[in-house]
Amino acid sequence: MDGRINSEVFKKLFSKSGDVLIRPIKINQNNIIVHLFCVDGLINQELFDTAVFKSLKFDPYLSQCKTERQMMDYLLEGGAYHVFTKEETDYNLLLKYVLSGMVALIFDKEEKAIVYDIRKFEKRSVSEPTEENVMKGSKDSFIEVMRMNTALIRRRIRSEKLVVETLSVGKLSKTDMALIYISDIADSSTVNKIRQIINSIDIDNISTPAFIEEFLVENKHSIFPQIMYTQRPDRVSANLSDGRVVLVVDGIPFAYILPCQLPMLMQSPDDYANHFLIGSSLRIIRYLSMIITLFLPAFYIAATTYQSQMLPVQLALSTQAAKQNVPFSSASEVLGLLISFEILIEAGLRLPKAVGTAMSILGGIVVGQSAVAANLVSPAVVVIVSLAGISGFIMPNQDLSSGIRLTRFILAILAAVGGFFGLVVGLIVLITHLCSLDNYGTAYIWPFVDVEERNIRDTLFRFPIKYFKKGPLKQNDGKAEIE
Amino acid sequence: MKKIVILVMSVLFWGLWGCSHDMNRREIDEINFIHVLGIDYSMGEYVLTAIYSSNQGADAESGQAGKEEISQGRGQTPYEALQSLKLKNKKSVSIANTGYFLIGDKAAYNGIDVCLDFLSRDETVKMESLIFIIKDDNAEDFIKDSIENGQTVHEDLEAVKQKQEELITRNDNTLVNILNEMEVKTASVLIPYLITEENAFLLKGYAVIDQLKLADYLDMETSSAINFIKDIIRAFPIYIENKVGLSISYSKCKLKSTIKNNQIKVLIHLEFETMVKEVNTNQMIFSGESLRELTDKQNEYIIELLKKATNYSIQHGRDILQIGRLLENQQNKRWKSLKENWNERISEVQYDFEIKSKITKSFIMGNES
Repeated sequence: MDGRINSEVFKKLFSKSGDVLIRPIKINQNNIIVHLFCVDGLINQELFDTAVFKSLKFDPYLSQCKTERQMMDYLLEGGAYHVFTKEETDYNLLLKYVLSGMVALIFDKEEKAIVYDIRKFEKRSVSEPTEENVMKGSKDSFIEVMRMNTALIRRRIRSEKLVVETLSVGKLSKTDMALIYISDIADSSTVNKIRQIINSIDIDNISTPAFIEEFLVENKHSIFPQIMYTQRPDRVSANLSDGRVVLVVDGIPFAYILPCQLPMLMQSPDDYANHFLIGSSLRIIRYLSMIITLFLPAFYIAATTYQSQMLPVQLALSTQAAKQNVPFSSASEVLGLLISFEILIEAGLRLPKAVGTAMSILGGIVVGQSAVAANLVSPAVVVIVSLAGISGFIMPNQDLSSGIRLTRFILAILAAVGGFFGLVVGLIVLITHLCSLDNYGTAYIWPFVDVEERNIRDTLFRFPIKYFKKGPLKQNDGKAEIE
Repeated sequence: MKKIVILVMSVLFWGLWGCSHDMNRREIDEINFIHVLGIDYSMGEYVLTAIYSSNQGADAESGQAGKEEISQGRGQTPYEALQSLKLKNKKSVSIANTGYFLIGDKAAYNGIDVCLDFLSRDETVKMESLIFIIKDDNAEDFIKDSIENGQTVHEDLEAVKQKQEELITRNDNTLVNILNEMEVKTASVLIPYLITEENAFLLKGYAVIDQLKLADYLDMETSSAINFIKDIIRAFPIYIENKVGLSISYSKCKLKSTIKNNQIKVLIHLEFETMVKEVNTNQMIFSGESLRELTDKQNEYIIELLKKATNYSIQHGRDILQIGRLLENQQNKRWKSLKENWNERISEVQYDFEIKSKITKSFIMGNES
């Protein structure tokens, strides 16, 4: 490919693309012609007309310029007013700028271009977060435009220490990505490592968030989320203050927070918006819910299939009465209903809202009532699975919720095979796995391991705000400068 | 690494699979849970009478258990009788959820160690299950008569347990507790006995198990005195001259032993508080003097009550108050020589009483009745 900056070269390159405009503009009587090079639909047409095109056509000085160089110098010195004006001599960079929505004026003889950043494309307005609703607290959320998202963060942390590094990923997509951290709080080795990983990503296109996540996650086989995502700028700013590193990717309405630990995923912004005792109670309920959703179905299987002596007498008798006439084993009942539950969730996500409501009613009646009436499942199992299901959705992080749901199946199968013995084996494996996870030098279940009084204040309980004057991360060295 | 993971997972899976065959995998609805188990000794063999819920009448939606059914097993030993009971039953039988064990009069005379040994070796049995003796009757007839009278035996026993818990702070007739008390050879084991009165089960007092065999039935007052000395009283009514009714709301009992000139003395120090519950006299009882008089009378009442327990122990030479254990704790060195002929020495123990009480919270509806 010809690497010269020339209108003919670009015309040839984009000969089959109707959206790329390469138009000649005659500027003065000396027949100097520059070429406008832009992507239709990505530029602010109005701004281009008033700030650039008007100057080109009506500025008296330009009409007197005899060479392209003179003209370029004048334009760069403010002849055509716009904040971001730049002379570009690199063919690849020019292509990148134009394809990302900037406008270039190509000067063929000089083999150079002047680039104006007057991008404008359709975007959502900042709206309420759909996944992380809070009763009290801010209602703004990230959108698909990276720069808008970084602005939302900058609005909350007005410090010169906040660093927003812009990186690019994807050989074809050339997706912009912002690596954000507070330079005197974040850990330099973590920042360097994340930067290194991003720079080494060898992929054509970043089409879904999972593409980024899989590269950044250190233990790829674990089903527990090791990277936290959030829609909420306030949550990002809080984590930045704690010394964590944030990634904002253009086109993805989330911000990623690293390193991520399990207790973080159990926290909700509401915890801090309420009185600390209420916040602590909510957290305890979340941890209890995690235990219920993980172990209740497995416990039921183990208790009704192997160790019925674990149940109190009256409970054993009522469970026994509830299970009579049901032809399936407890394990089949529970696993079958858990799978039905997952099918209902999946169907509910995919269907349009109007149909989804009808399906929820149908699913609720079929699974909840008719299955019991038809003696396909016992009422106790419906209660157990519903309770486990609802408890699973209390998790503030949906990735964690999904991980727990899958683990719930594994534990239920182990309980079906080995009763409480199987359940305990599963529990040991689970705890071992969680303890073995390491996330950018920090244990996944930190600060439950390596306990320090200062760090434990914001885990199971939410201490009063006066105890949070300093961020909790212990590994902050305050040397996270740009390399 | 992958090979190791696959190997570990395989071992785990097949290990669990293998274990599941030895872990008595049984669906809950395939088991007959025995709620109540009666143990009798009749004509040279043990008879076990089990009550369990059948599926008849059970309601799946409400979780209502079915009606009670009876099954019996006979054998030379209680364990053999249990095996015979299991063989007769259509479903698997489990004593894992048995809440009550009823020992018939004759079986208790024959020795409670034989009755309870097979239970102590069953890993599934609930150690908090309650044990009762059936006074002057065998458990089989007791159960059958109750069912014929329309009683639901395990529910009525639950009611007995709750009534027991209203009066005392803990049930000492749990399986684990009885098994522990059986280890102490010097003291008598006390197990509550049941009688039927007007289609209801009543706890009248303790059966005295001496040398692991049923020896006697104590009356209600002596049994209450034992509860005072065991310091497990939660509430207790006192009636003074049919005029004033009082209820004990707090009680604390401490025993102190001394040995002087080879004479064992036990001081029973009891503190309690009462509330006035009933006044059937026009006499002014809430004045300071009347209250003092009332306090003295309730002290006398309690002393008389306690004397019934101590006198029984002295007269019958049975350590129903666990004085031996007290001496072991407080006079450890002397106990080693005393325990050799403790059965004789228990009758020589001298009891002193120190009672402190007060009447509180008497003026709920005003200061005079």
